Amino acid sequence: MQERVNTYMGGATAALDYDAELMLRVRDGDGASFARLLEKHRLPVVHFLYRMVQQQAVAEELAQEVFLRVYRSRDTYEPTAKFTTWLFRIATHLALNSLRDGRNERSQERLDERSQDMPALQVEDRRPSVEQSLVRQAALDEVRRAVAALPAKQRAAVLMHKYKEMEYTQIARVLNCSESAVKSLLFRAYETLRARLAHLA
Amino acid sequence: MKCPLENRENSEILLEYSSCTLNGSDTQRLEAHLGECQACRDFVRGQRAVWEALDGWEAEPVSADFDRRLFQRIEREVSWWRRMRGHVGLLLGYPALSLAAAAALLLMAVWLERPSPSRAPAPAPVQANMLQPDQVVEGLDEMEILDQFNHMMKPDSSATKM
Repeated sequence: MQERVNTYMGGATAALDYDAELMLRVRDGDGASFARLLEKHRLPVVHFLYRMVQQQAVAEELAQEVFLRVYRSRDTYEPTAKFTTWLFRIATHLALNSLRDGRNERSQERLDERSQDMPALQVEDRRPSVEQSLVRQAALDEVRRAVAALPAKQRAAVLMHKYKEMEYTQIARVLNCSESAVKSLLFRAYETLRARLAHLA
Repeated sequence: MKCPLENRENSEILLEYSSCTLNGSDTQRLEAHLGECQACRDFVRGQRAVWEALDGWEAEPVSADFDRRLFQRIEREVSWWRRMRGHVGLLLGYPALSLAAAAALLLMAVWLERPSPSRAPAPAPVQANMLQPDQVVEGLDEMEILDQFNHMMKPDSSATKM
Protein backbone atom coordinates (compact mmCIF):
# COMPACT_ATOMS: atom_id res chain seq x y z
CA MET A 1 0.00 0.00 0.00
CA GLN A 2 2.78 2.40 0.98
CA GLU A 3 4.42 1.66 -2.33
CA ARG A 4 1.24 2.65 -4.06
CA VAL A 5 1.16 6.04 -2.30
CA ASN A 6 4.80 6.61 -3.18
CA THR A 7 4.10 5.76 -6.79
CA TYR A 8 1.34 8.32 -6.89
CA MET A 9 3.01 11.12 -5.00
CA GLY A 10 6.70 10.34 -4.95
CA GLY A 11 9.20 11.49 -2.35
CA ALA A 12 9.19 11.87 1.37
CA THR A 13 5.93 13.83 1.63
CA ALA A 14 4.01 10.88 0.30
CA ALA A 15 5.60 8.52 2.77
CA LEU A 16 4.30 10.69 5.61
CA ASP A 17 0.74 10.89 4.34
CA TYR A 18 -0.77 7.97 6.13
CA ASP A 19 -4.21 9.47 5.50
CA ALA A 20 -3.82 8.98 1.76
CA GLU A 21 -2.99 5.37 2.46
CA LEU A 22 -6.15 5.02 4.54
CA MET A 23 -8.16 6.60 1.75
CA LEU A 24 -6.78 4.09 -0.73
CA ARG A 25 -7.93 1.35 1.61
CA VAL A 26 -11.38 2.94 1.68
CA ARG A 27 -11.28 2.83 -2.11
CA ASP A 28 -10.61 -0.90 -1.83
CA GLY A 29 -13.73 -1.29 0.30
CA ASP A 30 -12.27 -1.04 3.82
CA GLY A 31 -14.96 0.74 5.85
CA ALA A 32 -12.84 0.71 9.01
CA SER A 33 -10.29 2.97 7.32
CA PHE A 34 -13.00 5.51 6.61
CA ALA A 35 -14.00 5.39 10.29
CA ARG A 36 -10.36 6.09 11.21
CA LEU A 37 -10.16 9.02 8.85
CA LEU A 38 -13.38 10.38 10.30
CA GLU A 39 -12.11 9.93 13.84
CA LYS A 40 -8.89 11.76 13.02
CA HIS A 41 -10.29 14.67 11.03
CA ARG A 42 -13.77 15.19 12.48
CA LEU A 43 -12.75 17.80 15.02
CA PRO A 44 -10.36 19.81 12.82
CA VAL A 45 -12.94 19.98 10.03
CA VAL A 46 -15.89 20.90 12.27
CA HIS A 47 -13.83 23.48 14.14
CA PHE A 48 -12.57 25.04 10.94
CA LEU A 49 -16.10 25.22 9.56
CA TYR A 50 -17.44 26.57 12.86
CA ARG A 51 -14.93 29.41 12.79
CA MET A 52 -15.76 30.05 9.15
CA VAL A 53 -19.56 30.19 9.44
CA GLN A 54 -19.79 30.80 13.23
CA GLN A 55 -22.85 28.62 13.68
CA GLN A 56 -22.38 25.19 15.19
CA ALA A 57 -25.38 23.56 13.51
CA VAL A 58 -24.41 24.86 10.06
CA ALA A 59 -20.79 23.87 10.65
CA GLU A 60 -21.77 20.29 11.54
CA GLU A 61 -24.10 20.05 8.55
CA LEU A 62 -21.30 21.22 6.26
CA ALA A 63 -18.86 18.82 7.90
CA GLN A 64 -21.28 15.96 7.24
CA GLU A 65 -21.33 16.99 3.60
CA VAL A 66 -17.51 17.10 3.54
CA PHE A 67 -17.18 13.52 4.78
CA LEU A 68 -20.02 12.36 2.57
CA ARG A 69 -18.17 13.77 -0.43
CA VAL A 70 -14.98 12.09 0.71
CA TYR A 71 -16.83 8.78 0.87
CA ARG A 72 -18.50 9.33 -2.50
CA SER A 73 -15.12 10.07 -4.09
CA ARG A 74 -13.51 6.88 -2.81
CA ASP A 75 -13.73 5.10 -6.16
CA THR A 76 -12.05 7.90 -8.08
CA TYR A 77 -9.63 9.03 -5.35
CA GLU A 78 -6.04 9.53 -6.47
CA PRO A 79 -3.49 10.72 -3.88
CA THR A 80 -2.08 13.48 -6.06
CA ALA A 81 -1.90 15.88 -3.08
CA LYS A 82 -1.75 15.66 0.68
CA PHE A 83 -5.01 14.21 2.04
CA THR A 84 -5.61 17.19 4.34
CA THR A 85 -5.16 19.58 1.40
CA TRP A 86 -7.89 17.74 -0.47
CA LEU A 87 -10.08 17.52 2.64
CA PHE A 88 -9.78 21.22 3.45
CA ARG A 89 -10.31 22.14 -0.16
CA ILE A 90 -13.71 20.44 0.02
CA ALA A 91 -14.45 22.05 3.39
CA THR A 92 -13.40 25.53 2.23
CA HIS A 93 -15.39 25.21 -0.96
CA LEU A 94 -18.52 24.29 0.99
CA ALA A 95 -17.96 27.04 3.56
CA LEU A 96 -17.43 29.71 0.92
CA ASN A 97 -20.58 28.55 -0.89
CA SER A 98 -22.53 28.62 2.34
CA LEU A 99 -21.32 32.13 3.13
CA ARG A 100 -22.08 33.28 -0.40
CA ASP A 101 -25.58 31.80 -0.30
CA GLY A 102 -26.15 33.65 2.96
CA ARG A 103 -27.25 30.49 4.73
CA ASN A 104 -25.80 31.88 7.92
CA GLU A 105 -26.60 35.52 7.36
CA ARG A 106 -28.16 35.71 10.78
CA SER A 107 -25.01 34.37 12.43
CA GLN A 108 -23.90 37.77 13.61
CA GLU A 109 -27.31 38.46 15.14
CA ARG A 110 -27.26 35.06 16.82
CA LEU A 111 -23.83 35.82 18.15
CA ASP A 112 -25.21 39.02 19.63
CA GLU A 113 -28.24 37.23 21.06
CA ARG A 114 -26.05 34.56 22.53
CA SER A 115 -23.66 36.97 24.12
CA GLN A 116 -26.58 38.64 25.83
CA ASP A 117 -28.52 35.53 26.77
CA MET A 118 -25.75 33.16 27.81
CA PRO A 119 -22.83 35.04 29.22
CA ALA A 120 -21.74 32.10 31.36
CA LEU A 121 -21.18 29.66 28.46
CA GLN A 122 -17.46 30.26 28.16
CA VAL A 123 -16.75 30.25 31.87
CA GLU A 124 -13.95 27.83 32.65
CA ASP A 125 -13.73 25.35 35.48
CA ARG A 126 -11.24 27.54 37.30
CA ARG A 127 -14.26 29.66 38.16
CA PRO A 128 -13.12 33.19 37.49
CA SER A 129 -15.09 36.02 39.00
CA VAL A 130 -18.22 37.26 37.28
CA GLU A 131 -16.39 40.35 36.17
CA GLN A 132 -13.51 38.32 34.70
CA SER A 133 -15.99 36.10 32.88
CA LEU A 134 -17.80 39.05 31.39
CA VAL A 135 -14.54 40.66 30.28
CA ARG A 136 -13.39 37.40 28.71
CA GLN A 137 -16.75 36.88 27.02
CA ALA A 138 -16.66 40.40 25.61
CA ALA A 139 -13.15 39.81 24.27
CA LEU A 140 -14.20 36.54 22.63
CA ASP A 141 -17.18 38.20 21.01
CA GLU A 142 -14.88 40.87 19.69
CA VAL A 143 -12.54 38.25 18.24
CA ARG A 144 -15.43 36.45 16.58
CA ARG A 145 -16.81 39.66 15.13
CA ALA A 146 -13.39 40.69 13.84
CA VAL A 147 -12.90 37.32 12.14
CA ALA A 148 -16.46 37.34 10.76
CA ALA A 149 -15.86 40.79 9.28
CA LEU A 150 -12.94 39.52 7.18
CA PRO A 151 -13.62 38.70 3.52
CA ALA A 152 -14.35 34.97 3.25
CA LYS A 153 -11.10 34.01 1.53
CA GLN A 154 -8.96 35.99 3.98
CA ARG A 155 -10.89 34.36 6.81
CA ALA A 156 -10.20 30.89 5.42
CA ALA A 157 -6.51 31.71 5.01
CA VAL A 158 -6.18 33.01 8.59
CA LEU A 159 -8.01 30.02 10.07
CA MET A 160 -5.85 27.52 8.20
CA HIS A 161 -2.69 29.45 9.06
CA LYS A 162 -3.48 30.01 12.72
CA TYR A 163 -5.45 26.96 13.81
CA LYS A 164 -4.31 24.27 11.35
CA GLU A 165 -0.74 25.53 11.19
CA MET A 166 -0.71 24.99 7.45
CA GLU A 167 2.17 26.24 5.37
CA TYR A 168 1.70 28.83 2.67
CA THR A 169 2.04 26.24 -0.10
CA GLN A 170 -0.69 24.07 1.38
CA ILE A 171 -3.04 27.01 1.95
CA ALA A 172 -2.37 28.06 -1.66
CA ARG A 173 -3.37 24.60 -2.86
CA VAL A 174 -6.52 24.60 -0.77
CA LEU A 175 -7.54 28.05 -1.99
CA ASN A 176 -6.37 27.32 -5.50
CA CYS A 177 -4.17 30.39 -5.74
CA SER A 178 -0.47 31.25 -5.76
CA GLU A 179 1.71 31.28 -2.67
CA SER A 180 2.29 35.01 -3.01
CA ALA A 181 -1.48 35.53 -3.19
CA VAL A 182 -1.78 33.64 0.12
CA LYS A 183 0.90 35.85 1.71
CA SER A 184 -0.95 38.90 0.50
CA LEU A 185 -4.28 37.56 1.82
CA LEU A 186 -2.73 36.85 5.21
CA PHE A 187 -0.96 40.19 5.38
CA ARG A 188 -4.17 42.10 4.73
CA ALA A 189 -6.21 39.88 7.05
CA TYR A 190 -3.78 40.24 9.97
CA GLU A 191 -3.52 43.96 9.30
CA THR A 192 -7.29 44.24 9.78
CA LEU A 193 -7.21 42.03 12.85
CA ARG A 194 -4.35 44.03 14.40
CA ALA A 195 -6.33 47.20 13.95
CA ARG A 196 -9.36 45.66 15.64
CA LEU A 197 -7.80 43.45 18.28
CA ALA A 198 -4.45 44.93 19.29
CA HIS A 199 -6.04 46.67 22.28
CA LEU A 200 -6.95 43.28 23.78
CA ALA A 201 -3.30 42.65 24.68
CA MET B 1 18.65 43.74 7.25
CA LYS B 2 16.19 45.48 5.01
CA CYS B 3 12.94 46.37 6.79
CA PRO B 4 10.44 43.53 6.15
CA LEU B 5 7.58 46.01 6.16
CA GLU B 6 8.92 47.63 3.03
CA ASN B 7 8.19 44.48 1.08
CA ARG B 8 4.95 42.60 1.68
CA GLU B 9 6.51 39.39 0.37
CA ASN B 10 8.99 39.50 3.25
CA SER B 11 6.45 40.36 5.91
CA GLU B 12 6.01 36.62 6.52
CA ILE B 13 9.22 36.86 8.56
CA LEU B 14 7.43 39.13 11.00
CA LEU B 15 4.40 36.81 11.11
CA GLU B 16 6.60 33.81 11.79
CA TYR B 17 8.60 35.68 14.41
CA SER B 18 5.37 36.74 16.15
CA SER B 19 4.19 33.13 16.29
CA CYS B 20 7.64 31.92 17.39
CA THR B 21 8.11 29.73 14.31
CA LEU B 22 10.97 31.63 12.68
CA ASN B 23 14.26 29.73 12.39
CA GLY B 24 17.27 30.65 14.51
CA SER B 25 19.43 32.61 12.06
CA ASP B 26 16.51 34.69 10.74
CA THR B 27 15.40 35.35 14.33
CA GLN B 28 18.82 36.81 15.19
CA ARG B 29 18.84 39.02 12.09
CA LEU B 30 15.28 40.20 12.71
CA GLU B 31 15.91 40.93 16.39
CA ALA B 32 18.86 43.09 15.40
CA HIS B 33 16.54 44.96 13.04
CA LEU B 34 13.78 45.26 15.65
CA GLY B 35 16.22 47.09 17.89
CA GLU B 36 16.28 49.96 15.45
CA CYS B 37 12.83 49.84 13.79
CA GLN B 38 9.84 51.11 15.74
CA ALA B 39 7.34 50.17 12.99
CA CYS B 40 8.42 46.52 13.08
CA ARG B 41 8.28 46.48 16.88
CA ASP B 42 4.71 47.79 16.72
CA PHE B 43 3.89 45.16 14.13
CA VAL B 44 5.20 42.35 16.32
CA ARG B 45 3.42 43.65 19.42
CA GLY B 46 0.11 43.97 17.56
CA GLN B 47 0.48 40.59 15.89
CA ARG B 48 1.20 38.85 19.19
CA ALA B 49 -1.94 40.44 20.63
CA VAL B 50 -3.96 39.08 17.69
CA TRP B 51 -2.36 35.68 18.12
CA GLU B 52 -3.26 35.56 21.80
CA ALA B 53 -6.80 36.77 21.13
CA LEU B 54 -7.29 34.04 18.53
CA ASP B 55 -5.85 31.47 20.95
CA GLY B 56 -8.67 32.28 23.34
CA TRP B 57 -11.32 31.39 20.78
CA GLU B 58 -12.15 27.80 21.49
CA ALA B 59 -14.43 25.87 19.18
CA GLU B 60 -17.53 24.17 20.53
CA PRO B 61 -17.62 20.39 21.02
CA VAL B 62 -19.04 18.30 18.20
CA SER B 63 -22.46 16.70 18.70
CA ALA B 64 -22.32 13.21 20.13
CA ASP B 65 -24.44 11.80 17.29
CA PHE B 66 -22.32 13.30 14.50
CA ASP B 67 -20.90 9.96 13.35
CA ARG B 68 -24.24 8.18 13.65
CA ARG B 69 -25.93 10.78 11.45
CA LEU B 70 -23.13 10.58 8.91
CA PHE B 71 -23.19 6.80 8.71
CA GLN B 72 -26.98 6.89 8.38
CA ARG B 73 -26.64 9.21 5.40
CA ILE B 74 -23.98 6.98 3.88
CA GLU B 75 -26.13 3.90 4.46
CA ARG B 76 -29.12 5.59 2.80
CA GLU B 77 -26.99 6.46 -0.18
CA VAL B 78 -25.44 3.01 -0.42
CA SER B 79 -28.81 1.27 -0.16
CA TRP B 80 -30.21 3.56 -2.87
CA TRP B 81 -27.37 2.53 -5.16
CA ARG B 82 -27.91 -1.10 -4.28
CA ARG B 83 -31.58 -0.78 -5.22
CA MET B 84 -30.66 0.92 -8.48
CA ARG B 85 -28.10 -1.72 -9.28
CA GLY B 86 -30.68 -4.37 -8.37
CA HIS B 87 -33.14 -2.95 -10.85
CA VAL B 88 -30.51 -2.78 -13.57
CA GLY B 89 -29.37 -6.30 -12.73
CA LEU B 90 -32.96 -7.54 -12.93
CA LEU B 91 -33.28 -5.93 -16.32
CA LEU B 92 -30.07 -7.55 -17.52
CA GLY B 93 -31.29 -10.93 -16.26
CA TYR B 94 -34.00 -11.04 -18.90
CA PRO B 95 -32.52 -10.52 -22.38
CA ALA B 96 -35.91 -9.96 -24.02
CA LEU B 97 -36.80 -7.34 -21.44
CA SER B 98 -33.48 -5.54 -21.82
CA LEU B 99 -33.83 -5.66 -25.62
CA ALA B 100 -37.28 -4.15 -25.34
CA ALA B 101 -35.98 -1.45 -22.99
CA ALA B 102 -33.09 -0.69 -25.34
CA ALA B 103 -35.46 -0.52 -28.31
CA ALA B 104 -37.77 1.79 -26.38
CA LEU B 105 -34.86 4.04 -25.48
CA LEU B 106 -33.69 4.05 -29.10
CA LEU B 107 -37.16 4.93 -30.35
CA MET B 108 -37.43 7.69 -27.79
CA ALA B 109 -34.03 9.06 -28.82
CA VAL B 110 -35.00 8.96 -32.53
CA TRP B 111 -38.30 10.65 -31.74
CA LEU B 112 -36.59 13.35 -29.71
CA GLU B 113 -33.89 13.90 -32.32
CA ARG B 114 -36.21 13.87 -35.37
CA PRO B 115 -35.93 16.93 -37.57
CA SER B 116 -38.76 19.31 -37.01
CA PRO B 117 -41.13 19.37 -40.03
CA SER B 118 -40.44 22.26 -42.35
CA ARG B 119 -43.11 24.71 -41.78
CA ALA B 120 -45.04 26.15 -44.74
CA PRO B 121 -44.86 29.88 -44.89
CA ALA B 122 -47.60 31.34 -42.87
CA PRO B 123 -50.43 32.57 -45.07
CA ALA B 124 -50.83 36.27 -45.35
CA PRO B 125 -53.45 37.52 -43.01
CA VAL B 126 -56.84 37.55 -44.76
CA GLN B 127 -58.41 40.93 -44.78
CA ALA B 128 -61.98 39.74 -44.39
CA ASN B 129 -64.80 41.56 -42.77
CA MET B 130 -65.89 39.30 -40.04
CA LEU B 131 -69.52 39.59 -39.01
CA GLN B 132 -70.28 39.76 -35.39
CA PRO B 133 -73.26 37.73 -34.00
CA ASP B 134 -75.32 40.80 -33.28
CA GLN B 135 -74.78 41.98 -36.85
CA VAL B 136 -76.09 38.64 -38.14
CA VAL B 137 -79.17 38.86 -35.93
CA GLU B 138 -79.75 42.41 -37.09
CA GLY B 139 -79.45 41.32 -40.75
CA LEU B 140 -81.94 38.49 -40.23
CA ASP B 141 -84.38 40.90 -38.63
CA GLU B 142 -84.06 43.21 -41.60
CA MET B 143 -84.67 40.33 -44.02
CA GLU B 144 -87.79 39.33 -42.09
CA ILE B 145 -89.09 42.93 -42.24
CA LEU B 146 -88.47 43.00 -45.98
CA ASP B 147 -90.28 39.69 -46.40
CA GLN B 148 -93.29 40.98 -44.44
CA PHE B 149 -93.22 44.16 -46.53
CA ASN B 150 -93.26 42.07 -49.74
CA HIS B 151 -96.27 40.09 -48.49
CA MET B 152 -98.08 43.31 -47.68
CA MET B 153 -97.30 44.80 -51.05
CA LYS B 154 -98.17 41.75 -53.20
CA PRO B 155 -102.03 41.87 -52.87
CA ASP B 156 -102.03 45.54 -53.89
CA SER B 157 -99.91 44.87 -56.91
CA SER B 158 -102.19 41.95 -58.02
CA ALA B 159 -105.22 44.18 -57.60
CA THR B 160 -103.67 46.85 -59.73
CA LYS B 161 -102.98 44.32 -62.43
CA MET B 162 -106.54 43.22 -62.34
